[in-house]
Amino acid sequence: MKIGIYFCNCGSNIADKISSAAVIEAARSFPDQPFVNILDFICSEDGRLRFEESLKSEQPDRVVVAACSPRDHEATFRRCMTAAGMNPYLLQMVNIREQVAWVTEDPQVATDKAIRAIRGAVGRVRLQQPLERKQLEVCPDALVIGAGPAGMKAALSLAEAGRSVVLVERTPFIGGLPVRFEELFPALECAPCMLEPLMGDLLHGDCAGRIELMTMAELVEVTGFYGNFIAKIRQKPRQVSLHDCIGCGECAAACPATTMNGFNSSASERKAIDFAFAGVLPNAPFLLEGVCVRSKGEDCRACKDACPMGADVINLEEVETVVERRIGSIILATGAGLYDAAHVPGMGLGSLPDVYDALQFERMLSSTGPTSGEIMTANGSAPASVAIIHCVGSLDEDHNPYCSGICCQYAFKFNHLISAKLPDTIITHYHRELTVPGKEAHTLFQQAVQNTNTCLKRYERITDLAVSLADDGRLQVSAHGELEPADLVILCPAVIPAAGADSLSALLDVSRDSSGFFRELHGRLDAAQSTIKGVYLAGACQGPMDIQKAMLAGMASVGHTLAGLQPGRIIEIEPITAEVDETRCAGCRLCISVCPYHAITFDTEQNRSRVNAVLCHGCGTCVTACPAGAINGHHFTNAQIMAEIEGVLK
Amino acid sequence: MPEKPKLAIYWAASCGGCEIAVVNLHEKLLEVDAALDLMFCPCLLDTKKKDIEALPDGAIAVTLFNGALRTEENVEMARLLRRKSRILVAFGSCAKGGCIPALANFTTTDELLATLYRDNPSLDNPEALIPAGTTSMPEGDIHLPALLGRVLHLAQAVEVDYYVPGCPPESHQIWNVIETILSGDLPPKGSTIGCGTLTVCDDCDRTKEDKRITAFRRSYEFYPDPTACLLEQGLLCMGIATRSGCGAPCTKANMPCSGCYGAPDGVSDQGAAMVAALGSVMDIGDTAGLSEEAIAGRVDAFLAAVPDYAGLFYKYTLASSTLGGRVGSSKSTPLSPPLSGGKCSAPPLTRGGREGLTQVPDCNLSKQSGEIAE
Repeated sequence: MKIGIYFCNCGSNIADKISSAAVIEAARSFPDQPFVNILDFICSEDGRLRFEESLKSEQPDRVVVAACSPRDHEATFRRCMTAAGMNPYLLQMVNIREQVAWVTEDPQVATDKAIRAIRGAVGRVRLQQPLERKQLEVCPDALVIGAGPAGMKAALSLAEAGRSVVLVERTPFIGGLPVRFEELFPALECAPCMLEPLMGDLLHGDCAGRIELMTMAELVEVTGFYGNFIAKIRQKPRQVSLHDCIGCGECAAACPATTMNGFNSSASERKAIDFAFAGVLPNAPFLLEGVCVRSKGEDCRACKDACPMGADVINLEEVETVVERRIGSIILATGAGLYDAAHVPGMGLGSLPDVYDALQFERMLSSTGPTSGEIMTANGSAPASVAIIHCVGSLDEDHNPYCSGICCQYAFKFNHLISAKLPDTIITHYHRELTVPGKEAHTLFQQAVQNTNTCLKRYERITDLAVSLADDGRLQVSAHGELEPADLVILCPAVIPAAGADSLSALLDVSRDSSGFFRELHGRLDAAQSTIKGVYLAGACQGPMDIQKAMLAGMASVGHTLAGLQPGRIIEIEPITAEVDETRCAGCRLCISVCPYHAITFDTEQNRSRVNAVLCHGCGTCVTACPAGAINGHHFTNAQIMAEIEGVLK
Repeated sequence: MPEKPKLAIYWAASCGGCEIAVVNLHEKLLEVDAALDLMFCPCLLDTKKKDIEALPDGAIAVTLFNGALRTEENVEMARLLRRKSRILVAFGSCAKGGCIPALANFTTTDELLATLYRDNPSLDNPEALIPAGTTSMPEGDIHLPALLGRVLHLAQAVEVDYYVPGCPPESHQIWNVIETILSGDLPPKGSTIGCGTLTVCDDCDRTKEDKRITAFRRSYEFYPDPTACLLEQGLLCMGIATRSGCGAPCTKANMPCSGCYGAPDGVSDQGAAMVAALGSVMDIGDTAGLSEEAIAGRVDAFLAAVPDYAGLFYKYTLASSTLGGRVGSSKSTPLSPPLSGGKCSAPPLTRGGREGLTQVPDCNLSKQSGEIAE
């Protein structure tokens, strides 16, 4: 076998430390006595040309390039191999620059190290086999998970760019958290009014035809990889046709069953078939199966009979389905929720009346909420004093170590809205730290500070505070032992990832940080990419953020999708994959669950495992795990690795 | 009538189970006797060493050599039988991989003898007498074969033609081996015979599912589901990393495979393969947000259910494993020159991933045993 060693001086980078003459001398004792060709800068245009010419004239069977890190130029030299008519996988690179020349003081020692590494590569390259890349056309379409601000922005922008989008939303409506708010910081815009044009475009705009909106749906399985994912989505039954329903509400009026409405913070009742809240989009009710009297065996058809649009709008027999969609990229925009302040002792949430968390209070403020926007205590009176407690479960090692960053701003918005409706009400802010960054947040903050009925009190630890019921039945807040009455207490808990992030993380193998938010590929350089190629992050699922930042993050994820997956683009599949040796596989099925890419399936007929080469990333996990030695990792076979080690240690 | 080919069955450091497995051939023994002249078997026959020494070299057609090499005498017999046999078979797990006797390689010979003859609470040995190669008594010196510094498997001392796995080899497989030898249609030298080519999972008819193990359990803790895979039930069943051919009698009896047939072809180290496999399917739960220490703590808690790694993973193969035994014993010195033919024979290169890492095997003898001269 004819082997060529191409030794790159890399100017003085390598030549200063490693003697090429000594490598030539040593190569005489290597297996198959390879020829050695010394070049300067093989990566340069001239170097590549000379490398290719040498390959054409010498026609070696295998090639070793001793130069820089393969992360630098393996692709370059593989292209040279292809240009010279050789299979690119018959090349082995040795990193004698970063791993030897740059980190070894003594030239003698460096030369010896380099010779060992090159001998290992020669031993290995003799066993390397030609491999063929597969070509696959990418799918330019996208799956967006979550129809809050970030997800809606991403879906609409992709559709505007001509891409088909599947928008999956777990709840029966779009708009995320803010669509349930009345007014937003910092400019006190009406939230539903602000979001309406976006939601309208999404549902009925020029590009709406390219958006497949699936509400009450969840991702259940994803296989494949960047450019070619197959997603399975579970569609739960709404029992109401989104296509035909006009949102008149006759069905809800006729429905005999009631329950508390979770989408109204359980502060008001709803019917079994009803809207999530007034003004919801899509403007269609949904049926809560467990609440419907039919689930108790009654043969009720009140809603169906009441529908003025005909018998096909409400389908009481509708069942759950699982649909499959092929997409090229996935945008996670699953949003955030609030830390359960009931976990913070002394706050009284859930145990004392008139203690609300911020989401519940937003609903109280909302004109579509349970009190139609009136601020009142449980007994229906206007509160004479309100306590707003910041940093509940935030900046707190016992709960969540981070600052959620948005709570101070909405707390001062609350201050403004309460003062506007109830000018004489005393408002006390209990805060640990105050965060009002940027060019707009200061306005509401200054208004609160200048409000003569407002008082800001700093506390050290949340345990210094306690909300309790005074003897007269009024609420009171004790801070460092000092008592203040409060008819209404509003808690501002930490912003946490929305429920379900954990199962999505497991489904997609996307990492999460210690707080459970999806981890960015790089917090600053690549904050819109997850740790999995082709899965992007947008909005509060990656950390607490306001609507502005969520919209921007949505656009950033769109940028990645548009830049990476142009229609018609071909991607090449690396042939460095695992393959099951069917003569050795005994069908123990151990490998199936270890594959991070769901690339291994079990053939029950043959009783053998199979690796799907298109899905396989060649990570080698199954190769190591297989206790029968029945899985080979192409390009990293045991024999190749052993030969390399032997060459190095000789 | 032409002379029948000679068959020898020898035991070195062994328990006698391999002989029992041969006797378990039952009436087929008559067929063995019809075809072969069983002329040496210390367990069954009265042939002496000197009778073997008197034979011309290569006079024995086949020797089934069971047992590990624990003493100088074992090595001496291995060499003698190698010289006299045309086919030398490492028969059973001790001869093939060291088996239980080789677990002593986790300790030094001195520690071993001290435990056995001095410190064991059931002993009555007030003079703390410890057997040695030569012991002076008032009546004169008495000699015992000295212990080797390390227990060896047969191929570490002499060249081996074939390997038969099992502790002991299953009788139906012994018959297959005999038939193969009688047929003359022998596989390449160095092959493992009398076994299958897959793992015990192929012999085991339990239902296998995708594996995620949430806790290891031991046999005494529960009565396993007789139809589901034992490993999936948390039992440390070695079947996934063990050569097939036994017919899975242990899992059929609701007991986990302990791995006596050793690693299948292509796997150089049974214990390492098992550890890598288990490490891949241990489910320590959601680790999101946990510190490295906390994750390590979970792994430790998971592994606390495994009381004896060596006895579990290397029960049958320690001597032939990459691990070998405890490294750095000050009591052992390298043997030089090596034991036989001026060369220590490593296990044949065909046996899995030892290619490229071929090394002089551990032929260390303790100082007390001295060096064996050629």
